[in-house]
Amino acid sequence: MSAPLGPDRLADAAAAALSGGADGLLATIFHTWGGLTRFADSQVHQNTWQEDVETRVVAVVDDRRVGCANTHSLGHDAVGRAAADAVAIARAAPPDPDFPGLAPPATPAEKDAYDEATAAAPPSERTAAVARVLAVLPPGIGAAGFVETGGTEVLLASTTGLRVYARSTSASMSVLASAEDSSGFAEVAERRLSDLDPEALAGRAARKAELGRDPRPIEAGEYTVVLEPAATATLIQFLAFLGFGAKAYLEGRSFLSGRLGDTVCSDLVTITDDALAADALGLPFDFEGTPARRVPIIERGVARDVVWDRTTAAKAGRSSTGHALPPPNPEGPLPLNIRMEPGDTPVEQLIASTARGLLVTRFHYSNVVSEKETVLTGMTRDGTFAIEDGRLAHGVRNLRYTQNALAALGAVEAVGDRTEISTELFFGGSRAPALKIARFNFSSATTY
Amino acid sequence: MIDASVRTLVERALEVARSAGATYVDARSLAEESESINVQDSQVKGIERGVSAGIGVRVIADGAWGFAGTARPEPASVERAARFAVEIARSSRPLRRAPVRFAGETPAVASWASPVQEDPFEVPLDAKISLLVSAADRMREVGGISIAEASIDLWRRRSFLATSEGARIEQTIVQSGAGIRAVAVGEREVQQRSYPASFRGNFACRGYEHIRAMDLAGNAARTAEEAVALLAAPECPSGETTLLLDPPQLALQIHESIGHPIELDRVLGMEAAYAGTSFLAPADRGRLRYGSEAVNVTADATIPGALGSFGYDDEGVPARRVEVISEGIFRRFISSRETAPEIGEEGSNGTMRADTWGHIPLIRMTNINLEPGDSSLERMIAETDDGILMSTNQSWSIDDHRVNFQFGCEIAWEIKRGKRGRMLRNPNYSGRTTEFWSSCDAVAGPDEWGVWGTPNCGKGQPGQTARVAHGTSPARFRGVRVGVRG
Repeated sequence: MSAPLGPDRLADAAAAALSGGADGLLATIFHTWGGLTRFADSQVHQNTWQEDVETRVVAVVDDRRVGCANTHSLGHDAVGRAAADAVAIARAAPPDPDFPGLAPPATPAEKDAYDEATAAAPPSERTAAVARVLAVLPPGIGAAGFVETGGTEVLLASTTGLRVYARSTSASMSVLASAEDSSGFAEVAERRLSDLDPEALAGRAARKAELGRDPRPIEAGEYTVVLEPAATATLIQFLAFLGFGAKAYLEGRSFLSGRLGDTVCSDLVTITDDALAADALGLPFDFEGTPARRVPIIERGVARDVVWDRTTAAKAGRSSTGHALPPPNPEGPLPLNIRMEPGDTPVEQLIASTARGLLVTRFHYSNVVSEKETVLTGMTRDGTFAIEDGRLAHGVRNLRYTQNALAALGAVEAVGDRTEISTELFFGGSRAPALKIARFNFSSATTY
Repeated sequence: MIDASVRTLVERALEVARSAGATYVDARSLAEESESINVQDSQVKGIERGVSAGIGVRVIADGAWGFAGTARPEPASVERAARFAVEIARSSRPLRRAPVRFAGETPAVASWASPVQEDPFEVPLDAKISLLVSAADRMREVGGISIAEASIDLWRRRSFLATSEGARIEQTIVQSGAGIRAVAVGEREVQQRSYPASFRGNFACRGYEHIRAMDLAGNAARTAEEAVALLAAPECPSGETTLLLDPPQLALQIHESIGHPIELDRVLGMEAAYAGTSFLAPADRGRLRYGSEAVNVTADATIPGALGSFGYDDEGVPARRVEVISEGIFRRFISSRETAPEIGEEGSNGTMRADTWGHIPLIRMTNINLEPGDSSLERMIAETDDGILMSTNQSWSIDDHRVNFQFGCEIAWEIKRGKRGRMLRNPNYSGRTTEFWSSCDAVAGPDEWGVWGTPNCGKGQPGQTARVAHGTSPARFRGVRVGVRG
């Protein structure tokens, strides 16, 4: 139902903010819209749409006093009030000696991330995608999941002359296929609705549910594992959260603090953050207006760098890599477009080369046990299988893992040849391949 | 009072949706003001104020749900949203096996406000900054502290719900919270202590009086000293032992292993693909032993000042107190007007809430409480020959059926021969829900009972964040696995 307002309309709203009385002002304008259709028990049960606009204003007075205010409006009056609020807050705030100043004008890379048909997709196209899922389910298999389509446009403008704009669309979908005592899961995120393949997704999830019927109990302990991309993504997203940002690095909280240049895991592992990659979903600039750069974080097992914003970069005497989050941001910079590079081994071969082990489709509700040691815990779900003599033998009941994530990357024996975007419950998406890991610790079992 | 122009827009949304063919409509305006102040190492690292306002229109048309929300307050946008909600509902109908069943509710015409003694938005900014900086300064005076953080978060929600059944409900809810955190960074470990609770502190539906009562500065030195001491403390041992939990940790234990499993939408599979389902089934009501006889749990949205309290939910159902577990036996789910009839119950018990104007209401915890027992922390320790007392949540994880859990805490103390002993670092424990609650042999009494606000409960797609709470006093559990290592 909606469409972009365009850079000029967003700039018009920004202008109402930039006229406020301050030494410096930065306005960030978001316009987002989209629909999300959820299904469960093989029928649509929630079907929603929303359109939002938000103006965020950063005001700077006396060089280093900073205030922020936001309003969900593009109206000149509301935006002007937000700017006045930001200025009033800045005047009341003590100076922040670490404030690096507003970013200078920049020209980010062009990124074609917008598809008009996806931006304007009517609800009938989302329900049609659900219908295609339901149509191919085998007897005895039910489905749940969602189909989402939407668009975003973002403009940053400041009194330094900065003006950057980007627009993008997204189409994503998940399918949880359920049998009486088993389940399977598959998900996908693309730029275009037309790139979704509901039948393929449903087929993949349903095959896991069928193969996993009558899951057998299994003892907790250490196993060789094949992690599918969604499970790999959980590990690298937590590592990114814990240690790939410059604030944690400078504060000594990161497991990479003092270790750049060291070998930290297997030489089969290369992790970068790259918003500019054609298959990444991120913006070509950050929320300070700095163009996003590709950052090699771990290259063939060697720690290379973390991601930086203007504040952390100024402290360390280097330049921002374009990874600032929206202000005010006490967390510091974080990588939002993490990707682990693929290897050259098909997932079938990862399984075939495993005499005894487990295949994990995805993890659930993972969390940190020990921050600097990168110990995580979480559950398996939606397709955990015993591998025996190089083949998937049968489903097993779900297990809790408690594992040092960095040590797991140190025990990687082979890397899958394809990557997929996967989401983690507490984070956004990241692109990762399947992994074969020699040793992975499961600390307890459950009854299903 | 809700602005007359907003009322007019909400009423117009009802009219447009009905004339487009909706058989049921609720239109809800919400304007939420917010303020957040962050201090790190005695420097202000971010102050933000904001307002998010919009209107959401939820309809049943052709027996299916549709919803559209807009932040654009022009009549044309609201009318478009109302018509679009009906179009969305109609697009859903071919993929429903049966029309939505919706329990009746007497339409209320009412207004409600949470109790506020001191409007936190009227407290001068410099006073709030000063309170946080003084707490951070006192933490930094403790040698070995690497990071000292302090924060305040405030919200004021003004809503107006109008339904095609005739309900007209205005509510104003003020929510306040604050907390401090001291971090000590060692060679191989990072240790932290928080006060009064982790993840930005404790929260309530109260005004600035809630923050003043915390005495952040008065608790700063002890908080920092414990963080530093943890770096040198012995590791929590591994094995099975008697576990005592303090209220800030027990609040999250209740949240994850009782609050979520009793959500009826989860039980019916509506959240299966994302956050998961529940081990509970409708037939478990009145039969399943959830815990020991010491375990009595209520869902109570009427506790004055508790973060999960309100006057009416977002379906117009009045707030109420519900018995969830009585003497260990499971009794009731928390429900909605759609889900209650699915299990043969007459009506909703009033737990549907949406976090913003742009999201549909979902079944959300209210204040899910472990009712007080007749023991005390002092007595429970004195009665324990060998055990561990754990405090303050640090991490949480539970499976998608809400059975197998593992929690990490910030700090623990060993208990030997009835006395609290040395401090232990990196404490954690794991278990299975009904086994764990069945191992509860003592709950402290009303003197040690308090309500702990959890401002960050995630659920649904698109993701929503609810502010909920848990009343509890300290409790004791026998034979719990502790010290799980990777």
